[in-house]
Amino acid sequence: MINKKTNFVMKKLNYKILALGSIILFTAGYSCKKILNSTPAGVLAGSTLANKAGVDGLLIGAYSLLDGYYQGQPGTNYGSGISNWTYGGVGADDAYKGSTTTDQGPDLPEIESHVNMNSNNIYIESKWQVSYAGVQRANNVIQEVPLVTDGSEAGAVGQNAIAEARFLRGVYHFELAKIWRNVPYVDETITYAAGNLNVPNPGPIWDKIEADFAFAMTVLPKTQSMAGRANYYAAEAFLAKAYLYDHKYAQALPLLTDCINNGVTASGAKYALEPFNNNFNAATKNGPESVFAAQMSVNDGSNGQNDDAGDVLNFPGGGTYTSCCGFNVPSYNLANSYKVDANGLPMFAIDPATGFPTYNDVNLINDHGIAAGAAFTPTTEAIDSRLDWTVGRRGIPYLDWGLCGGEPWTRGDLVPYTPKKNVFYEAAAASTTDNYGTWATNQGSANNYNIIRFADVILWRAECEVQTGALAAAEADVNLVRARAADPTGWVHTYIDVTKPQGGYTNTPAANYHVGLYSGQFTANGAAWAMAAVMCERQLEFGMEGQRFFDLQRQDGVTGGPLGAGYMAGVLNSYYKADNRIANPVLTSAKFVAGRDELYPIPNPEIQAENGKLTQNKGY
Amino acid sequence: MFKSLLLKGRTLCLLLCCMVSSLVVTAQTKQTGKVIGSDDKLPIVGASIRIKGTNTGAVTDIDGNFTLSLSPGNVLVVSYIGFQTKEVPFKAAGPLTIELEPSNKTLNEVVVTGYQTQVKKDITGAVGVVDVTDAKKLPVTSSEQLLQGQVSGVTVINQGAPGSGSTVFIRGVSNFGNTTPLYVIDGVQGNNMSSVNPTDIESISVLKDAGSAAIYGVAGGNGVIVITTKKGKPGKTVISYDGYVGDQTPLSGNVWHLMTPAQQSTLTFEAGDTGGETLYPGGAGTLPTYGYHGTTAYGTFGSAGVTNDPGIVGGYHFDAANPNNDFLVQKFNQAGNDWFHDIFKNALQQSHTVTASGGTDHSTFLYSLQYLDQQGTLIETFEKRYQLRVNNTYSLFNNHFRFGENGYVYYRENNGGSAYNQQYEGGSISMTYREMPIIPTYDVSGVNYGGGYDGPSGEPLGNASNPVAMQQRSANNLNRTWNMQGTVFAEVDFLKYFTARTAFGGNAQNNFYYFSGFNTYENYESHTSPNSYDEASNYSFNYNYTNSISYKQTIGKHAISAFAGYEIKQTGGQQVGGYATNFVSLDPAYVSLAATTNPASISLTGGNGTFLYQPTGTESYFARADYAYADKYLIGATIRRDGYSEFYPGHQWGTFPSVSVGWRISQEDFMKGASWLQELKLRGSYGESGNNANIGGANSVNTYSSSFGATDYPISGSLNTVASGFAQSTIGNPKVSWETDKIFNVGLDVSVFNHLDFTAEYYRKQSDNLLFAQQIPSTAGAASAPFVNIGQVNNNGVDFSATYHDQIGSDFRYSVTANLSAYKNVIAAINQTQYLFSGSRVTQFVELKQGMPMGEFYGYKILGINQNTAQLNSTPNLSGSAVGSYIYQDTNHDGVVTPQDETAIGNPNPDFVYGVNLNASYKRFDFTMVLYGSQGNKDYNYIKWWTDVYNSFPGGKQLNLLTNSATVVNGQVTNPGATQEALSVSNNPSNSFYIENGSFLKCRLAQIGYTFDPNWLKAIGASKLHVYVQGTNLFTITKYTGPDPELVPSIQNTGNTGNQSSSFGVDWGAYPTNQRTYILGVNVSF
Repeated sequence: MINKKTNFVMKKLNYKILALGSIILFTAGYSCKKILNSTPAGVLAGSTLANKAGVDGLLIGAYSLLDGYYQGQPGTNYGSGISNWTYGGVGADDAYKGSTTTDQGPDLPEIESHVNMNSNNIYIESKWQVSYAGVQRANNVIQEVPLVTDGSEAGAVGQNAIAEARFLRGVYHFELAKIWRNVPYVDETITYAAGNLNVPNPGPIWDKIEADFAFAMTVLPKTQSMAGRANYYAAEAFLAKAYLYDHKYAQALPLLTDCINNGVTASGAKYALEPFNNNFNAATKNGPESVFAAQMSVNDGSNGQNDDAGDVLNFPGGGTYTSCCGFNVPSYNLANSYKVDANGLPMFAIDPATGFPTYNDVNLINDHGIAAGAAFTPTTEAIDSRLDWTVGRRGIPYLDWGLCGGEPWTRGDLVPYTPKKNVFYEAAAASTTDNYGTWATNQGSANNYNIIRFADVILWRAECEVQTGALAAAEADVNLVRARAADPTGWVHTYIDVTKPQGGYTNTPAANYHVGLYSGQFTANGAAWAMAAVMCERQLEFGMEGQRFFDLQRQDGVTGGPLGAGYMAGVLNSYYKADNRIANPVLTSAKFVAGRDELYPIPNPEIQAENGKLTQNKGY
Repeated sequence: MFKSLLLKGRTLCLLLCCMVSSLVVTAQTKQTGKVIGSDDKLPIVGASIRIKGTNTGAVTDIDGNFTLSLSPGNVLVVSYIGFQTKEVPFKAAGPLTIELEPSNKTLNEVVVTGYQTQVKKDITGAVGVVDVTDAKKLPVTSSEQLLQGQVSGVTVINQGAPGSGSTVFIRGVSNFGNTTPLYVIDGVQGNNMSSVNPTDIESISVLKDAGSAAIYGVAGGNGVIVITTKKGKPGKTVISYDGYVGDQTPLSGNVWHLMTPAQQSTLTFEAGDTGGETLYPGGAGTLPTYGYHGTTAYGTFGSAGVTNDPGIVGGYHFDAANPNNDFLVQKFNQAGNDWFHDIFKNALQQSHTVTASGGTDHSTFLYSLQYLDQQGTLIETFEKRYQLRVNNTYSLFNNHFRFGENGYVYYRENNGGSAYNQQYEGGSISMTYREMPIIPTYDVSGVNYGGGYDGPSGEPLGNASNPVAMQQRSANNLNRTWNMQGTVFAEVDFLKYFTARTAFGGNAQNNFYYFSGFNTYENYESHTSPNSYDEASNYSFNYNYTNSISYKQTIGKHAISAFAGYEIKQTGGQQVGGYATNFVSLDPAYVSLAATTNPASISLTGGNGTFLYQPTGTESYFARADYAYADKYLIGATIRRDGYSEFYPGHQWGTFPSVSVGWRISQEDFMKGASWLQELKLRGSYGESGNNANIGGANSVNTYSSSFGATDYPISGSLNTVASGFAQSTIGNPKVSWETDKIFNVGLDVSVFNHLDFTAEYYRKQSDNLLFAQQIPSTAGAASAPFVNIGQVNNNGVDFSATYHDQIGSDFRYSVTANLSAYKNVIAAINQTQYLFSGSRVTQFVELKQGMPMGEFYGYKILGINQNTAQLNSTPNLSGSAVGSYIYQDTNHDGVVTPQDETAIGNPNPDFVYGVNLNASYKRFDFTMVLYGSQGNKDYNYIKWWTDVYNSFPGGKQLNLLTNSATVVNGQVTNPGATQEALSVSNNPSNSFYIENGSFLKCRLAQIGYTFDPNWLKAIGASKLHVYVQGTNLFTITKYTGPDPELVPSIQNTGNTGNQSSSFGVDWGAYPTNQRTYILGVNVSF
C-alpha cells in the first residue's frame, strides 16, 4: 500500500489529501436515521384494521377456524378437525382408526385404545391449540371494535360483531370443554401484553360458555345475510346444548322447544328434518336441518385449506374411489347397532348371556376375510336405513361410486367397512373436492360439518324430557327422528345400471330396511330404559359424526354433574370385548378406565407453558 | 504475494533510514543486483541490502533491483520480512541475483483481520489462518469446503448434493438458531462464501475470539471469516489456467443392507403379517410374477399374481389423461431392484479457470473466468456456474491515493431441488430404501412403449414412491441465479501517519426458479393428482458502506496504531411466485403459468412463495487501538457501537468492547540465548460480540395477515368461494434485543527448532440473551410467540494446531500439519425444555434442556429384550409390551416404564474433531494427503425405523430382520424388529436402538503431482506447469451403519428457523458426502 518513495512528496500533497480526507469524513458523518426505521414490511398492523373492513375481516378470521384447521398450524390437522372423528368416534365405539396398525402411531392408537394415552399426545395438543386460536381470534374482534373511531362500528353494527364473536368464543370453548371439561376460560382481557396468559382450570366453565351464548342470543338477528353466520336460533341451540352438558335440563327444555317451534336457519328456512343424506352432501348443504355448520369450500384458491382438513385421511384405502388413506373405519359394533327387531326397533337391550347389547351378540353378516373376486351377498336381515348412509359395506351402492367393495376397499383388513358421511359424489367431484395441500388427491371435500343439526335439537329435547320425567313426550321426539329414517324416499336405492353408478337409482331399497316407531315403550319401561333408547337413537342418527364419545360422557355424568359409576367404561369395555372377536392389534389391549378416560389428558406442553397454573385431569 | 504490502509503519521508517544513509556513502564500484524469492522466483520489492559492518545499504525497487557501490570483500546482508536474512560475499562485478529463503511463515505472515491486516506475530486475538496454498489443492466446488479440517475450532459439514453449501460453525453451536459465521469477502459482509471461485482466493482468516471479531459487533458473535481475493502484481502479465476433470463414483454395494424379495417373502410369513402375506400367494419364500392395479382391483393381488396370466397382462391400460381409467400391470423384479444405484450413477465434475493478471507501479489488474460443471451422482442433479472476476487497483500521487474495485459476477444453474432429495423421509434418496425391491422401475409397458413408471399398487407394497420417477421428473426443474458482488474503494494517506478509506461493497442477486409436479399415476397414495407447475422470481440485496481512518506510528520502541470507522448496512428483497395445475405439457420449452388448461388453479404460492424480505438496517461506529512496546508487550482494544433496525427503538443500540494482550516471551532478553526458540507468545483476550441473526423485523409489534388457508372462510355457504379474513399472525414484544457472546480466550504460539510451529488456545464462550421463541401457552391464540432474550449456551474448548516441516537431503521436503478442536457445549439456560421432531415416526427425539448439550438425543434407553413371559412379567415394562419387546430403563425407578422415563440417550456433539495434512515433495513430484475426522459424536439413524423395523411401512428391509430376528428360534431373542405384537412399544417411541457411534476418519484426498522443468517449459512459452491426479474420499473409517456418518442438518427443520442449528447428526436419508472422486488436474502459467 504505502510505497518506498512516499515521504519526498508528502508535504506538498497534504492539503489535497486533507481535503479528500475531509470529504470522506463528511460522508461518514452523514447520519442515516432511516437506516434504523423499524417498520416491518409486508404485514398488517393492528391500527390498520380499526375500521369496519378490519373488524369484518377479523370476524371472518374467527369463523375460519370452525373447520378446526389453519394452514401452518402446528401438530396435526387430523387431531384438530371439527368433526372430532378421533376423540368422538375412534375414541368411542363408532370407529377404528383404520389404515395399517402403526400408521399415525402412537398418538392415534392411544386415543383408540385408551392405553398409554398420555399428555404428550400430538393430537390433543393440536385440538387444544386450534380451539384456543379460535377463542383468541374471537377475542380480537371484541378488542378491535372499541378501537374503531370512524363510527363504522358504532351501535348495533359493533354489537352484532361482538355478539358473533362471543358466539364463536362459546363454540370454541365448548369444543375444549367436551374433550377436557376442566379448561381455562379465555376472554378478551387475556393477552400477551397483559401478561396474564397463564389461566388456571379450576373446573368446568359451563357458566361462562352459557353467558357467551346468552349474550349472543340477545343481540343476534334471527336471520343473517350469509348462510354461514350465527343467528339467534343457533345461539339458542348452543345455549341449550351447554345447559344439557351442564345437566340443567329444565333450563334447556324451553330453549329447545322454542328452537323446534320457531327456529329458522340463518337464511330464514324453518328448521326441519330433510332427507337424511342431504346433511352429508355438499350440494345440499345449509339446508333446513343445518342449525349451525362449519362451512367447507374447495377449489377456492386455497389448495384445499378450507375443506374438511381434519377428515382428509378418512376415505377408503382402495377401490374405485381413490387411493388414500383408509382411516376412520366404522366398527363392527356400529354396523351391528343398526340391526332391528321385528318391529323395526333397535336392539340395544343388554343380553345377559353375553353382556353385550343384543345387536352385538353376532356380527352383522359382512365380507371380512372374503377375497376381492369371491362371491358375497350382503345380509338380508332387517336393518335401520341409516346404516347405509353411515357405513360403506360390500355390495351396497357407495354414493355414485359403484357398489362398495367391502374389505378390499379398506387398508388394515380388520373390518370390511368404510366411512361414508364425509364422502363426496364422483359426479360432483370437480366442484366439491380438492387436493388437500396438493398432497392427497380429492381428499378434501366441501361437505359441511354440522356442529348442530336439527335432529340434535329434537333428540336433546327428548333427553331433557326423559330427565324431567316427560317420557311420552320424549318418545314422540324420538319418533320424529325415526319417522324420517322410516321414509323410504330417503333410503339408499339400487343403481338402475350397476355398471353405470352415475346413471341414477331405482326405487328399490338397496337392503332390507325396516324402521319402526316406538309405541309407548318409553312410559312402559321407565326412565332408565327411555334414556337408553334416546342414547341408542343418537348412536344410529349420529354414527360417524364424532359425537358418540361425548354422548356417552354426558350420560356418564362426568361432564357437569356427579361422577358416574362407570357407565361409559361399561359400554366401551364391552365394545372392546365384542369387537376383539376379530383379532385387532390396536384394540386388543384397549381398556377404558372409569373416572379417568371420560376426559382426555390436558396436553403436557400446555401444562409446562402455564408454569403450574394448569391442573392435569384426574388419573393422567 | 504480500511482499509489497509489508512496507508500512515502522518497517517503512527503518527503510527510510537505510535510504538516507545510502546517500552519504562514497561511491566505489556501481553494482546492480536483483533480489528474488527462492520459492516463486519473483522479485522482492523493498528488500534491504546492507554492507556488513557499515550503515551503507539500499532497498530493492519494484522489480526487485538495487544499485549499490561495492568493493570486493564486502559482505551484503540481505533481509526482508518474511524471509531468512542472508549474507552474500561480494566477489566480482557482474549481474548479481540473490535468492532469499522464506523464513518462518506463520510468524511473519500478514494476516487479514477485521477491517485491517496485521503481521501474525503482533496478533493478540485468536485468528485461524487457512493455508490457502495447501487448501487449494482441494478442487472444491463450494469454497466453504476449503475450511474443513484446515483450521482448528472450525467445524464444516459438507453436503453431497451439487451446488449445496456447507454448514459451518465456529467453536461449537452457540445458539438455537443461526450459527452461520459472518463472511467478509473483500470487505463485503455476507452470509456465505460458497460462490467464490476457490482459485481466486488469496487468503482466508477465521476470527474466533472477541479480541479479533468484536470489531464486527452485533454481526460477529458467530465468528467471522475474512476472505480476500487475488490482485494483479506489477510486472509481466501472467496468464494462467487451473482446471480439473473428475469422475465421481457413488457408494457401492448394498448401501442400505436390504434383503432380497425372496428373503422378504420368507420374513413376511415369519412375522405373521397376514396383510403382507397376500403379496405372496405361493407361500413363504415365493414371489409373485405379476401384479396389477386399476379401477376395480386397486391394490389387490389375486392368484393371477403368481404366474403369468395373459388376461392380466393383456388388460394393461394406461390413460395419462384420466388416471382413473388406468389398469397398470407390473412384472415384479424378483431378483430385487437396487433402487439406490438406479438413481446414483457415476458423474462428471469439471472446473476451468483462466486468470490474467499483471500491472504497473500505478495499477494492477486481475481477470478470472471460471466454468464449473458438477454433475451430481444423484441423477438429474447438477450445478453449473459461469463466473467472471475483475479486481483492479490504481494509485495516484505517488501511491498516496489509491482506489480500485474487487468484484465478480456469476450466473448459476442447478435443478433447484437438490436439498429436497436429501435428509428427508419423503426425498428420493429415502425412497431408495422405502420402495420395496420387488417393485420394478417400469411397468410392463415401460416409459418407452407408452406405459410408465411402476410403483406400489396397493397396501402390501407400501406407500413409497418410485425414486427413479421422482428424479427423472425433476429434470424439468431449474433454478437460475444471477449474482453480482463487489467492493469499490478509495483511500488516501495524509498527515504522514494517517490513511482515510471509503468503501462501498454489496451483493445483488436475481433468481428465477420453476419446478413441475407430475401426475404420479404409479403411486398408491396420490394416483390421480393433476400435474402442476410452480415458478417464482426474487431479488435480494445487501450492502455495507464503510468509512474509516487509520493511524500508525512508531516512536522509538513504541508502536502505536489506531483505527476508527463508521458503517451502514442494509438488506432487503422480494419474491413473487405462482402455482397452477393441469398442463398439457410440462416441457420447459412450453410451460409457463399461463399455459394451464385450468386458469382457476392459478394462485400465488403461499408460505415462502410470495413475500417481502424484512428489510434490515444497521448503523455502526467502531474503533481499534493497538500498542506494542519493544515488540514484546502487545495490547489491543476494540469497541463497536451498533444500531439495528429490527429491534424496537430504545433497544436498538448496543456496545461491544474487547481487549486483548500479548507477551512475546521469546523477545525477552532472558530468552535470547535460546536459539532453538523462534517464537513464544502468550496472549489473551476478553470481549463481547453480538448476534442479531435470529430475529425477524416484525418481532416487536403485533401483526395481522390474511391468507386463503389460515383466515379465509366460505361464510356465504358457497362451495368454491371464500370471504377474506384477518387474523393476528405475530405477537409483538418490544423489549427484545441482540444476543451477546462473551468470549474469553488464552492462546500460546510457539515456534521451535525452525521446524515446528504450535498453537494452543483455550476459550470460554458464553452466549447470553439467546433469542428463543417464547414458550407461551395456547391461551395466547395462534399468533406466533415473539422472540425473547432468554437462553444461554456455554462452549468451553481448546483448539490445537501444529505444523512440522523439514527436509531430508535437498530433494525431499515434507510437512505435517495437524489440528484438533474439542469443545464442551452446555445449555445453561432455556425457558423450558424443548423437544424437537414431535411429528417424526418415532415422536420427539431431540431435547434442548438446561444442563444438557445442544441437540441431545432423547428417548428410552434399551436395557435388553423381554425373552419370555416370566421376564416380561417381572420387569418394569412399557404398557403393551410383549415377549420380544425392548426392556426400557425405568429411569425414575417408580416401577413402571412411562414417558417420564425417557432420557438423554446420545450426544451429537463430538468429543473432538481433527484434521491432518501431509505434504511432501521429492524433486519435481509432490504429494498431499488430507485426513479429517470426528470422534465421539453420536448419530441418530432414523433410517432404521424404515429398514430395521418390520412393521413400519412395507418397504426395503434390512437383512438383519431375517437372520437375527425375534422370530428365529435360536434360543435368544435379539431383535424385536420382526415381531408384530412387540412393535408399537418397541419401535415407535424414540429409543437407543437408533443411536449409533458417528465417529469417523475420512481420507478427504490424496494427490500426486508433477511440476515440469521450467527450462523445458520455456520451449512452449510457459513458466509453470503442474499436473496432478487426485482421489477424494478414498476411505471412510467408521462404525456407523448408514452410508455416511457426516450429516448435515435436515431440511425437516430448516423451515423452523428457531431450531435450525440445534439439531444435527440425524440421518433422514442424506446425500452421501463420502463418494469417491478421481480427478485429473493441471495448473499452467504463461
